[in-house]
Amino acid sequence: MANVTFSKVNKMYGSSRIVSDLDLELPDGSFTVMVGPSGCGKSTSLRMLAGLEPITSGEIKIGERVVTDLEPKDRDIAMVFQNYALYPHLSVRENIAFPLRATKTPRALALKRADEVADSLGLAHLAARKPKDLSGGQQQRVAIGRAIIRQPSVFLFDEPLSNLDAKLRVETRTELLQIQRRLGITSLYVTHDQEEAMTLSDRIIVMREGQIAQQGTPLEVYSRPTSTFVAEFVGSPKMNLIDGGIERGIFTSDSGIRLETQEIGATGLVTLGIRPDDLLISSSPEPTLSLATVELIELLGPRAIVTLRAHDRVLTSVVGAAQLANVREGSIVGLSVRKNSSHLFDQASGSRLP
Amino acid sequence: MRKPKLLSVLRITLLWVAAIFVIVPLAWITLASFKTPQELNDPGLVLFTPNFDSWASVLSSGILDAAYRSLVVGLVTVGISIVVGGMGAYAISKYKAGGSVTRFGILAAQVLPPAVLVFPFLTMAYALRLNDTLVPVIFAHLSFVLPVVTWFLIGFFDAVPPALEEQARVDGFSRFRAFVLVVLPQVLPGIGAAAIFGFTLSWNDMFYGLILAPGNAAILPVAISGFNTFRGVQLGAMSAAILIAVVPVVIASFFIQRKLVQGISGGAVKS
Repeated sequence: MANVTFSKVNKMYGSSRIVSDLDLELPDGSFTVMVGPSGCGKSTSLRMLAGLEPITSGEIKIGERVVTDLEPKDRDIAMVFQNYALYPHLSVRENIAFPLRATKTPRALALKRADEVADSLGLAHLAARKPKDLSGGQQQRVAIGRAIIRQPSVFLFDEPLSNLDAKLRVETRTELLQIQRRLGITSLYVTHDQEEAMTLSDRIIVMREGQIAQQGTPLEVYSRPTSTFVAEFVGSPKMNLIDGGIERGIFTSDSGIRLETQEIGATGLVTLGIRPDDLLISSSPEPTLSLATVELIELLGPRAIVTLRAHDRVLTSVVGAAQLANVREGSIVGLSVRKNSSHLFDQASGSRLP
Repeated sequence: MRKPKLLSVLRITLLWVAAIFVIVPLAWITLASFKTPQELNDPGLVLFTPNFDSWASVLSSGILDAAYRSLVVGLVTVGISIVVGGMGAYAISKYKAGGSVTRFGILAAQVLPPAVLVFPFLTMAYALRLNDTLVPVIFAHLSFVLPVVTWFLIGFFDAVPPALEEQARVDGFSRFRAFVLVVLPQVLPGIGAAAIFGFTLSWNDMFYGLILAPGNAAILPVAISGFNTFRGVQLGAMSAAILIAVVPVVIASFFIQRKLVQGISGGAVKS
């Protein structure tokens, strides 16, 4: 158990900067998810912590130990790779027991421990099989078993669920979280899937171009994104972002959409952000409201995603299915914003206005 | 529905043609080794009484010593090639050592005719007083076995996912142990195949052996060529000697081939 610290960590490949001045603190026992589009430096950061990539400058600490120049084997970490990296020539039991060979644990004891771990993951009946005879989900569990057998100081996950199908991904996600909570081992998890990031993490770190765009609890990041990049990246469906001007709480887009927002000090050119859940539609609009045409309705059971077109802008709204009683594709509806739920960003810099 | 049947008939026919090409000369040699010189001169002869004179003269001619020397040359050459070539192939595959040129450039020496290389070898062997020993023969064989084995193994190392080795390093092993415990088992079938291939190349070479060790240290193909005497070719004895050269290779390939298939099937059979 240990906290993890990155101080001013840089990584260059030739002259291109992959990670720049990364300062990061993972509290002991926390589950932190790093998320971002591909090429944002999240995997590189994870690999630097694992010791698989040398760092160009800076310092990484696990607990009080500086591990910057240590080999991976001396860092006391466990890692689950995207393709699971199971050893094809070893059985499930031997795969799980493998890390114990490094600690010179007697073979009989190591295999006994492996059986216990396999049992706790529901793999007992597969212990003698080779990885190629397992399904993707089972392989994934073996990889997790191999990671937990040694009780490392830090767990690292490199997109471990992305090769699973959707249903299995959700199940494994829950299970992973339970295991981490039970063991209380500091974890860093990398994914490009923002939904996975939101559901798994105690703390979420959104990366962009080698830097931290925002970090905090999932709720903080979701409810107060600090930039248009984070606003658009986190949340599904994506936040509506509309450029325009604001004056005394009335927003008018460049294309002519008028929306009432909360009264804030800002005036001038802004980008208005509205979560699809906060964009309300009414089938019998008051005359003061801007209008939109319903282009597409996608039912998701109790809720529906409605794609709208207003003044040549495509907007997305998520509404309760009950509200769609009088709405069809092609209907004209009125648009409004839920009170105190709009986000305003500076149009030039993209950063949040207070 | 007709096409696959036609294809399979064609395939079987081609296999038979290929088999006949391989089997007929071997069968002829086998029969020849049991004939008397008179019988050998009669091409129409089908039925004859087996005669063991050729075998007796071959076995007393020191051919087994030559076979033993060939075995030593082959094993040492392959042993060095696998260790050195394996490390080279790993470096070329994983670290792109020498850039993309090395990947194929390693075979460049094969372009040189052996006749160009053999005289430097001979001169050095004389200077070191190693002529007519197995040492220069081994070095000469390394000149063509080592590059081929290396080239052969590069592809096998390419097929090992880098994550496997990284996983082993994270699991607490040094680079070297990760290589030995995790990477090496994945390429064992490849190493087996490369070893057989390299050994066959060495075992079948006559040119270098003939020039670098023509006398007391003659290897098997050189000894076989010795049956081409100034009194004519001793066909019967030569046939027996050729069988001695060919049969062990056939048997070894057969057994190692089964091992190879086991290996390639992902170790489903517990070793």
